[in-house]
Amino acid sequence: MNPDDRWDHEVRDAYHRPIEGEAQARERAIARLRREARARRSRMGAWWVDPDVLRVRPLVFAASLLAVLVIGAWAGARWMASRGAPAPPRSIATLTGESTAVTFVFRAPGATRVSLVGDFNGWDPNATPLARATTGDVWTTRVSLEHGLHAYAFVIDGRDWAPDPSAPLAPVTTFGRRNSLLVVGEDQAL
Amino acid sequence: MRRRLAWALTALWLVSGRAYGDESEEARLRARLKPEVATSVIEVVRSAAAQGLPTAPLVARALEGASRQAEDAAILDAVRRYSAGLAAARRALGPTARASELDASAGALMAGVPEDSLASLRRARPSGSLVIPLVVLSDFVARGVPVASASNTVLAATRAGAADPALLRMRERIHERILRGEEPSGASREGLRELLMKTPGTPKERGNRDPHEKGRP
Repeated sequence: MNPDDRWDHEVRDAYHRPIEGEAQARERAIARLRREARARRSRMGAWWVDPDVLRVRPLVFAASLLAVLVIGAWAGARWMASRGAPAPPRSIATLTGESTAVTFVFRAPGATRVSLVGDFNGWDPNATPLARATTGDVWTTRVSLEHGLHAYAFVIDGRDWAPDPSAPLAPVTTFGRRNSLLVVGEDQAL
Repeated sequence: MRRRLAWALTALWLVSGRAYGDESEEARLRARLKPEVATSVIEVVRSAAAQGLPTAPLVARALEGASRQAEDAAILDAVRRYSAGLAAARRALGPTARASELDASAGALMAGVPEDSLASLRRARPSGSLVIPLVVLSDFVARGVPVASASNTVLAATRAGAADPALLRMRERIHERILRGEEPSGASREGLRELLMKTPGTPKERGNRDPHEKGRP
């Protein structure tokens, strides 16, 4: 073995020779890294509940809030449009032989009194008062009607007349306002 | 002998009932209207009864006017015009028309629907009730559909054999379209097209034709 080869061999041996305490040092380093990672996770959890962690400029906060509201309103409007307009409460007819029990339903926000007038009660605003539903602004009453065509309207607080938004309208305005039309007993159709 | 007696009692019961009904109507009118207005309205009502026209709609119009606190002249005018409408409806629909059909027709005629449109409806549905088609037609006119378009729409649907529930669904769909801002005439055309596409026995291509074209349907 020439001197050069010997030198090369010694260097290689020195390179592969284990360093005293290396394994312990590696374990200590890994343990330290794990401790620090746990500590970092703990600090990130505290970020959600710590009251003074989040700092934001009021202008940025207001702009962000406005953007969220605008996007939410736009998405809500699109969703409502895809579902169609909200349906008004509908009057319901139940056929019972020669007469028909009809439940009239009317939404009157802010009203204190609602009554039903029509061909069937002589258009008397005191004859058929509606009762307010337990919740909301919906008023209802149930009337037994003979088969045939009936014109009717609702009177709000004794002075304002309104047609039923869910029913067909009469074609002419005899006394300034249109009435609604109700058909009972025709192929069981309202 | 017993059969004759039964017939006589039945006739007496019917006559008394009719008389009671008339008296009841007149009593209601006198109770709600000024005496001179009530007298004039009762004359119109009696004249209509003599022609075989239904009187209940006339009484109802008068009572409605009283409840709405309309002018006396307006009440009398409304009753007279409605009586004329009932008579015109009888001419258009024929002597066998039911009271509710005459009532619905009178309103349509007063809104400008021509008599021959009602006669065409009668021919399109010779035996069934026309009340629902007339109510749907009236609703279209009330919501701004031109009279000619409204008449053609209902007539085409009736000729295609659309039943009353289908007509009512068409009315709701057209109403929704108008609420969404569509032009009423176009909304009625689209509503009819949808109905014809779904009506059993109707050729699909028929639904693609424009029933508002001249000469159709």
